[in-house]
Amino acid sequence: MLTKYMQEDKRMTAKEAVERFVGDGDSLVIGNCLYATPYALLHEVIRQGRKDLTVFQQGGIDEIDQLILGGCVSRLLIAYNFRIAGERMETVLERALRRGEVEIEDYSNYTLLAMLQAGAMGYPFLPVMSGIRETDVCRVERFCAGQKFDEVECPFTGERVAVVRGRNPDVAVVHVQRADKYGNAQLWGALINTKWACLASSRVIVSCEEVVDSEVIRRSPHLTVVPGFRVCAVVEEPWGAHPSELLGFYDYDMIYRSLLFMQTMSEEGGKAFMDEWVYGVADRREYLQHYADRFGLRYLNELKARPYLSVPADYGATWRRAWDENDVSFNFQMTRGEFLQALEEKGGFVSG
Amino acid sequence: MVKYTESEIIVANAAREIEDGDIVVIGQGIPMAAGVLAKATHAPNCIILTEAGLVDIDPFRNPLHIADPTCTRGYAYSCDMIDVFATIVNRGLVDVTFLGVGQMDRFGNMNSTVFGDYDDFRMRMMGAGGAPEFFGYARKAVLTMRGGRFVEKVDYVSSPGYLDGGDARDRAGFPPGSGPKVVYGTRGVFRFEEESKEIYLAGIFPGRSLEDIRAEVPWDLEVAADLEELPAPSQEEVDLIREFAPEIAAGRKLQVELSIPRIMNILASRAG
Repeated sequence: MLTKYMQEDKRMTAKEAVERFVGDGDSLVIGNCLYATPYALLHEVIRQGRKDLTVFQQGGIDEIDQLILGGCVSRLLIAYNFRIAGERMETVLERALRRGEVEIEDYSNYTLLAMLQAGAMGYPFLPVMSGIRETDVCRVERFCAGQKFDEVECPFTGERVAVVRGRNPDVAVVHVQRADKYGNAQLWGALINTKWACLASSRVIVSCEEVVDSEVIRRSPHLTVVPGFRVCAVVEEPWGAHPSELLGFYDYDMIYRSLLFMQTMSEEGGKAFMDEWVYGVADRREYLQHYADRFGLRYLNELKARPYLSVPADYGATWRRAWDENDVSFNFQMTRGEFLQALEEKGGFVSG
Repeated sequence: MVKYTESEIIVANAAREIEDGDIVVIGQGIPMAAGVLAKATHAPNCIILTEAGLVDIDPFRNPLHIADPTCTRGYAYSCDMIDVFATIVNRGLVDVTFLGVGQMDRFGNMNSTVFGDYDDFRMRMMGAGGAPEFFGYARKAVLTMRGGRFVEKVDYVSSPGYLDGGDARDRAGFPPGSGPKVVYGTRGVFRFEEESKEIYLAGIFPGRSLEDIRAEVPWDLEVAADLEELPAPSQEEVDLIREFAPEIAAGRKLQVELSIPRIMNILASRAG
């Protein structure tokens, strides 16, 4: 058995998944960004007080700020992090950098993800668009110094091409629309980095809006973004990506995000936010109950998606079996008895 | 006379940079509004894509970000970020990229990472994101600058313009003819001189003064001999922009000011 995660029922709570599969000092990649961000899982990582994480972050809105407020992050490889604050305000990330609590290494979107793509494919390095050499993204190195960019000569053309190192994070956390209990996970909409984040990582924790019967997955395999044999935990977590959006389920929550942005402008506000929305609730269910108590269910319901159904793909075929209903083979045009007799007569058996 | 805002005249003019049939990569905000205006008017066959893996999108209102559900109703090709950069951008298939500018020097090198020293920074911006490769490999980069600024030397080169000017960009191996072509600011439009690749003022918005523009540029800005006055947006254009993107029309400051009362009301009213 070469694969680590067998065909077994991997359903568990977020608490159990993080306890078992995220450790202090791990490198962690956040699957997807902007859209379908795995907030429920990240909140659990924070609640359990994971420390010293190296985080690969493609394009954050506020999830990195929350992980930093939780004291989880030591190193950050990052391409983009949303900022709404003006120049005179200090963001959570800025505060942590100034205090030396977090180290940062800047990448572009492509070069950050190319490291994971190389890692996912098992290659030690991968060429990237060489123009990156003309930028400070390449020239300015910090904790990845010597391991950030390099160049090699193409053996076929002699051209010098920029390369990045393949990376394999310890764990990927992702949220998707649906998965089966074995971990076959289906995501649709903006796919961004999810496939490469999952396939590069040693362990994958999937949370989903709903755990569905495997029959649903097997009738729509084109939607599967990571196969079950790579997944170690499946967490059914409705609203697990809130306040980001998820097609078919809910929209972006502007009100909640505004609250978050306003509060995290100050250190005390950030602490109050975390106390209220992360430490003050035991799990996602309590988080939702708190939301309903705080704002009323009405605002949550306003976010619910209206349907816009995909046209089903027809996976049909003739479904011809080896033997038809009369026990006749289409290819040999003979019955099973005639087939066995032919094997006998033509010396097809080696057992005497 | 058409009443228009600072953002609307930028959007209306920037939209004209897109030709029908162009493949266009767009970031959020003013650039997206310009792309959608172009598609709704003179360039219905342009293909708009975002680095989130959404190709040939048809947003019905200005998206909050490049992956939001206004981008994902009825798009033609769902791929991922690697596919966009490797199979579209790297193959030279992008005609136009539209991006916002934080800080820019006279040769179009752009900083969207950090103001001040890298370690002892004054402020961290959002980061390089997709811009280095879009800047590097699109046939033409169209930039909008609202809140951004020109500087003698950028604090950090996030995205490559013409490097040291002249033929430096070609010598560095970027696709021939690629690079920043035009910058729409709040008072006028800038282009790059063909040989030296230095930025110059090519056009000015109605009612704006050359002195004010010069005051925003820390070197002795070249000005085109045939400096043109750019057209005000038409009524049709402002109607479309407001229909699709009232937040963009208002501009960031007013947008925040106008939306805060509703948010404060909701935050203040405990569920009861």
